[in-house]
Amino acid sequence: MKGQLTARKLVVRAAAGFAVLVVVMAVCLLMGTERVSLKAVVDGIRPGVAVNPDYEIFVKVRLPRIFLAAIVGAALACSGVVCQALLRNPLADPYILGISSGAGLGAIIAVISGLNRTFVGQSPIAVFAFVGALGTVWLVWFLGRLTGKFHVTGLLLAGVVVNTFFSALIMFLTLVAKSQQVYATIFWLMGNMVEEDIIVLWIGAGCVIGGIVALFYIAPQLNALSFGENDARSMGVNIARTQIIAFGVAAFITAIAVSLSGLVGFVGLVVPHGVRIVFGPDHRQLLPLSGIIGAIFLVVADTFARIVVAPAQLPVGVVTAIVGGPFFLVLLIKYGRKVSWLK
Amino acid sequence: MSGIIEVEGLSFGYTPQSTVLKDISFKVMPGTFLAIAGPNGAGKSTLLNLLCGMLSPRSGTIRVDAAPVESYSTEALAKKVAVVRQEFVPVFAFSVIDTVMMARTLYYGPMGFESKLDREIVAEALEATDTARFALRSLASLSAGERQLVFIARALAQNTSILLLDEPTSFLDLKHQVGIYDLLKAAQLQKGKTIVAVTHDINLAAQYCDATLLIGADSSYQYGYAKDVFSVEQIKKVFGVKVFMGKIGQEKFFIPLGKFAKDGGQAATPLES
Repeated sequence: MKGQLTARKLVVRAAAGFAVLVVVMAVCLLMGTERVSLKAVVDGIRPGVAVNPDYEIFVKVRLPRIFLAAIVGAALACSGVVCQALLRNPLADPYILGISSGAGLGAIIAVISGLNRTFVGQSPIAVFAFVGALGTVWLVWFLGRLTGKFHVTGLLLAGVVVNTFFSALIMFLTLVAKSQQVYATIFWLMGNMVEEDIIVLWIGAGCVIGGIVALFYIAPQLNALSFGENDARSMGVNIARTQIIAFGVAAFITAIAVSLSGLVGFVGLVVPHGVRIVFGPDHRQLLPLSGIIGAIFLVVADTFARIVVAPAQLPVGVVTAIVGGPFFLVLLIKYGRKVSWLK
Repeated sequence: MSGIIEVEGLSFGYTPQSTVLKDISFKVMPGTFLAIAGPNGAGKSTLLNLLCGMLSPRSGTIRVDAAPVESYSTEALAKKVAVVRQEFVPVFAFSVIDTVMMARTLYYGPMGFESKLDREIVAEALEATDTARFALRSLASLSAGERQLVFIARALAQNTSILLLDEPTSFLDLKHQVGIYDLLKAAQLQKGKTIVAVTHDINLAAQYCDATLLIGADSSYQYGYAKDVFSVEQIKKVFGVKVFMGKIGQEKFFIPLGKFAKDGGQAATPLES
């Protein structure tokens, strides 16, 4: 029937989206405070030629950073889609189950403890944030289970309680920390793209893309789950398996995103809703398109963060919030009538 | 002859102290229409949830197609039993055809998309329930009666031999009530489906169903042909309400008579004579 999603339509749309992503990344590579000559960059690739600054900026600074923004954007957007689907709550985002406060707590502990050893090329902040994020999701999941078999409300409440408690701990630790340390923590909490090792980027990208593929694999089950657990079960969906895969993968890719870039807000909320409003709620389409559009969104936002107040740089989390809020409002006003929960 | 659903000595309670259902036994023959009737709180929906494996019995057995219901995996049971619950409207705006297509989730290909056969089955279900005309509209934009038709279409598209329904006509107007029972009866007669519907509408049950299980709030029950189970005395006993029974041709109907029924002499005269 006309207007229905088919595999072919999905492939065409995803390919078009991917092409736009590549173009956007290419354009953003050329933008920045320094003018970069492409000719010099091409010269720099040739072996045996003396190091030139254009090549250095282009390949060692901008390319990894844009690549990182794309990975983080895709991870947060897909994770947001899954959290909204499983909790059946349009206000859910990747951080709702305590990932943000857990990662934040890990980060501030790393800062205060003054560790400076690196693990797998990662600073202690990133490692502690990653562990804190996953540990907190596990804790929230465990507490949610205590409240009943598997109740969405219990899980949400456990998330709120843990978030509040950990935020209190973060505030306490901020008070006892030295001002230098506090600055590093706050900068991290705002969400920030830094130049990462290319190896770390490849690992991160592999995990995130693998995670998104796994989520796509359970997309039909997520559709059925939108009608509640009882209905989904009657339609033959294995609820426990679907929920564990979905939450586990969403938490994992969010933890990776958070440990690479801090707490970048709004992407996981704005992008899924934007895609849903324009393309509909079918998760088979929602997941891949949200991933691609999340990547585009964060690449553009980070380019703004680099050049708006140059030579200083804004944390990208500030840009996503400032751009994302009004953008979301425009979408709501324009397409609001299509969205059932607004009624 | 063995039934497609066989319940033996079934008891259930939500807590160890309470008992909702006590020692119930009955058989549903393939291709028949069973109504489960009774007052609120008698355990009708509980029984339905036991039949579809959502709850586990305290004692007794439930067999679906000769095998115990708990021996089925979620997937295997969904190939035999489809359930229509009291409606649940999702927060996100799925269209009618997307909703009905979800019944085929089990049968999707490796890429998560439906086959041509799935599309034909869905088209047939939409046609049968007269929902094809608003197939692309969002569920949220439909009336309660139209939405219930969509959920029945979804259950039909699951292509199971057994269809369980929990109060399919509550909140619906007369036209939709009759429309839904006509639809279910047609599915029974033309497709040979076994239908089990929980209802407290005894008139519709008496008219459409072959067999009736009448459950009382005190865990008593009566099982038999609809025409035998429904009687003035039984209804008085189970529902605690005096009724008048009338007949038109072969159809029995019941009208409840309350304290202020006009023949009781307590009714006021609203219009001046």
